[in-house]
This record gives sequence, structure tokens and C-alpha cells, in this order.
Amino acid sequence: MSFSAWLELLASGLITGGIYALVALGLNLQYGLMRILNIAHGEFLMVGAYLTWMVQTTFGLSPLWMVPVSFGLLMGLGLVLHWLCFRRLTATSPNLDIFEARGLMVSFGLMFLVQNVVSYVWGGDLRGYDFLTDPVPVGNAQFAANKLLVFALALLFSGALIALLRLTLLGKGVRALMQSPVGAQLVGIDTRRLHPLMFGVGLGLSGVAGCLLSMAYTISPSMGEPYTVTALIVITLGGFGSMSGALAGGLLLGVIEALGMHFTNPSLKALLSYVVFIGVLLLRPEGLFARKGRRA
Amino acid sequence: MSSRQLFVRDLLVLFGLTGWALAIPGFGSEFAVSMALTCLMYIALSSSWALFCGSTRYLSLATSAFFGIGAYTGALLLEQLAWLPVIALGAAVAAAVAVLMGAAVLHLRGTYFAVLTFGMTELIRHAISYFEKSVTGTVGRVLMVVPERDTVYFTLLALAVIAVALSIAIRRTRFGLAMRGIGADEQRAQTLGVNTRFIKIAGFALTAAVAGAVGAAMSVRWTYIDPHTVFNPFIGFQTVLIALIGGAMTLWGPLIAAIVFSVLAETLRLQVPQLYMVSLGLLLILSVLYLPGGLASLRAETFRGWRDGAKLWWRETREDLSGETQRRKLRDKQLRERRDVF
Repeated sequence: MSFSAWLELLASGLITGGIYALVALGLNLQYGLMRILNIAHGEFLMVGAYLTWMVQTTFGLSPLWMVPVSFGLLMGLGLVLHWLCFRRLTATSPNLDIFEARGLMVSFGLMFLVQNVVSYVWGGDLRGYDFLTDPVPVGNAQFAANKLLVFALALLFSGALIALLRLTLLGKGVRALMQSPVGAQLVGIDTRRLHPLMFGVGLGLSGVAGCLLSMAYTISPSMGEPYTVTALIVITLGGFGSMSGALAGGLLLGVIEALGMHFTNPSLKALLSYVVFIGVLLLRPEGLFARKGRRA
Repeated sequence: MSSRQLFVRDLLVLFGLTGWALAIPGFGSEFAVSMALTCLMYIALSSSWALFCGSTRYLSLATSAFFGIGAYTGALLLEQLAWLPVIALGAAVAAAVAVLMGAAVLHLRGTYFAVLTFGMTELIRHAISYFEKSVTGTVGRVLMVVPERDTVYFTLLALAVIAVALSIAIRRTRFGLAMRGIGADEQRAQTLGVNTRFIKIAGFALTAAVAGAVGAAMSVRWTYIDPHTVFNPFIGFQTVLIALIGGAMTLWGPLIAAIVFSVLAETLRLQVPQLYMVSLGLLLILSVLYLPGGLASLRAETFRGWRDGAKLWWRETREDLSGETQRRKLRDKQLRERRDVF
């Protein structure tokens, strides 16, 4: 295999990987911060994608305008959901283990709810629209413009989130909450406001991911579950709650899949990602990039 | 009631229900029998799930893996072997897989365990569909020799009765108590001399054996199987949902919920399939939030508790909206200030 073919393979793996990292951002915030393993994550992503598709096809608006709109709408939805379900769950659960198990169950319920409401409203067909479909030559290789755009925006959003968490006071509060909820409360962080806010931001990010994905891929009511699984794999690779880990994990998964598919056979893709997932969970449950002594 | 009386009562209830279910093929229509079949399938699956996962609080999502393994074993062996050995082998293969899987993942708790079992289920599904596609060259299998409808029905009935009888019996043995102990506090159970590793693997294998047998029995009902239908994660999810909504810690909860859901499924699914799933999701959320013990824990006090809670909530909202809360705070503050002057 020639050098340029290698480069092309790696680049296409990285592009898919960037998209994976984007998909995982919201779930990482929700699970890493609040121990809510939101299985319905992919479903909310699908809602974002459907909103974008609807606005694009009925008003002809550029889908880029829908990025902030779907963020806002889904964040509002997240605040409402937190107020309705998770507030009570936090108040009534005796310990964190039980809270985690119950949160998982509630999000299972949400998964069924959202998926079927969407398929009732918009029907079960595959949908899609054309946006920036021309190929862009990069060196000898060619990539679809919409995928490149999604990749760039994915890197932008991950970078912005990492910067937000590292550099601002809000980010410091959020990180404190990740490390120890009780300790954060003791030093005067208002966890009662930060919790719903971060849950909302998590859902908003899944809305953004859905909006961006609808530019490059076809959408259907059952598209959510594979993305949830991808997001789970990525955040396990990166270590729960670590944003830079998730970015690296997403890129790594994309490259592993691209290489694996090239050298074996495309129908092995799903098998391969599950093998990576189970292997990491069994051998290094704290994530690939975690330093010794600090378990996420 | 004493423990012995409870035991006798449970056995009598099971005996009565069995007799009633035995009569269904005699007088029921084709539709009623098919509904009863779904019902029995979920009774067996969710009772056996609750037997291990309810008492140890290990949330397993691997039921569909065992179901599918049983179904495939049944489909492969049906032409060579008689009916009963096929079911038994389905159970044995599923249990063997469960022992391997359990040895690998049962040291992890909580969400890790749930996610891992789900991942392994999907791994098995993808592996089998890849194997079928590339080695056998088919997508699914058509079962040529199928036993009669009544044979399938009575087999499933027997499996459901076995699952419930096992839960009745095992609750009273050292094995059942050890599982309850693991659920309450695993380290304490270990300190008290329970071989937790062995108990967990044995319980997991027992659950898997029932699921595998049910899978082997149901595959002939469908006459055509492919990895997508028999390893459908939805079978596993629905089992878990039924057990949780009914009450995973209780004996009759999964049975009650399985009956309710099968009736709901068969009546709603034909007209508005989405409505069935939406109500499933909604019921799950409501039961986790307001009825953590499940349907079987419903008592008169529960309703009273809900009523009092709603009344309290309504009074608080009313006072918030009318400004009463603020006025009361102000009053309290003034009272404190007046008192603290001297």
C-alpha cells in the first residue's frame, strides 16, 4: 500500500472519529458529571437531526442556522426533563449506586418514549437532504465537503467545551462537581442549579450533534441506538467524564475502524467496535488515558 | 402468616394458575392461545430474570443473548433430535455461555455490568450474523419440522411453571438467601462466608438456562429465524422492564406485569404500535419514580402516600404563587428580630 493511500485511510478514519467524539460529548457530560447514563442520548440526537431536517425542507434555511436553535430547544427539553424526573430521583435515592441504576431505567423509558413519538410524528422512513455534497480534493484524496465541515465543527465544539471546563470559573465548578459532589457543595457551589444546567447542556450538545449529522447522513427514527452505543464506546475509551479523553478516544476509534475495515471486511465493523468496547471495559475500565491512582 | 403458610399459599396459587392455563388451548381461539404464549414466554423470562437479578441487584441486559442462543441451538438440532432433548440442550448451551460470560464480567457492579452484558449481547448477535453470512451463506433459517401448536404451548407452560416454582423454592434455600445477601451488601456477605463468585455464576447460569429453553421453544413457533429477530435487544429490554415494573424483588410481580403487558401488547400493537411503546416507556419512568418496589408492592398506603404528597405539593405551589411563602419568611424574620433585641 502506498503512502498516500495510507494517508487517505487515516484521514477518513480521523474524520469519522471526529464525528464520534462529537456524538459522545453530551453523554460524557451527563455520565461523568451526574452519573446519569443516558441511554436515550442517541434518541435526543435524532430529535435534533429531525428538527434540522424539518426546518431545512420546509423553509429552505441553511442547516447551520439550526445549530444554535437545536442546542437551545434541546437544552430547554433537558431542563424540563431534569425537573420532572431526575430531581425527584436525586431526592429519593438512598445512595449513588441505586441512583445510577434508577437513572439508567428512567433513560430507558425516555428512549422508548422519544423514539416512538418521533416515529409517530414523522413516520419511519429514511430522510435526508443535500447539503454541500461536492467532493473537495485534499492532496490526492477526495473528501465530501459536508463531512469535512462536520469534522471541523466537531473539533471546534470539543475544543470549546474543553476550554470552557479548563479555563472558566463555571468550568472549575463543574470539574469540582465531577470529582466530589459533596465537597463541591461544601465549598459553596450551587449544585442545585448546576445539575439541571449541565443536564440541559448535555442534551443540547446531543442536539447539536444530531443537527450536524443530518448534514452528512440519512436519518430515521431508529438511528439513535447505534449512536448511543458509539458514544458509550468513546467515553469508555477516554475515561468517564474526561473531555479530552473522549476526543482522543473518538479519533482513535475512528482510525481503528477504518484500518480494521480496510484490512478485514466492512461487515466486521460493528463486531470490531464491540470487541474494542468489551476489551477496554474488561481490561482498563478507568479508560485508556487515565493516569494511575485517579480512577474516574 | 408464617413462612410455611406463605410457602403453601404460593404453591396453591401457582397450582391454580397452572390449571387455568392448561385449559386455554381447549376452549380458546387461535388468537387467545397466541396471546397466552407471549404471556407465558415473558412470565418465564422475567421471573427467572428477577430470580437472579432482582435479588442480587445485578442488572443484566443479556437475556436476549441467551434467548437467541437457545433459539439457534433449537433450530440447528431440531431435525436430528427429539423435542425434549432439543429444549434441554438449548438450556445447557445458554447456561454454558452464561458461565463463561459471568466469569468474565460478574466482578463488575452496577452500570458497568449492565453496559457490558448489553455489549456482549450485541457482540454475539453480530458474530452470529457474520458467521451465517460468510460461512453458511444465509441470512436466516427456515425450520422445516415443527411440532404441533399444543406441544409448544405445553412446553412453554411447563417452563413458566418451572421458573416460578424455582423462584418460590430458591427463596427459602441457602442459595437464595446468599443471593439476597449479595444484593444487600456484597462485602458483608463475603465476610460471612458466602462464596459470592460461585453463587453469582450459578445464579446467572440458572437465569440463562431458562431463557435458553424458552428461546428453543419459541423458535419453532416463528418457523423462520435470523439473528436480527432472535437476538433482538428488545426481548431483553422488555424482560427487564416487565420485571422492574412488576417488582424485581417480589415473587408475583413479574408474573402480574407479564400478563398486563402481553394483553396490552397484543391489543395495542396491531392498531397503534407506537402507542404501545410510548406507554411502556411512560410506565417504566413512572414506576421507577413513584413505585420503586413495583406493581406487586402496591398497597392502600401507597395510594394514601401519593394523595398526601400531591396535597402537599399543591399547598406549596399555591402558597408560592400567592406570595404566602414570602410573607411567612418575612414574618418569621421579623419575629426573630423582635425576639433577639433583648
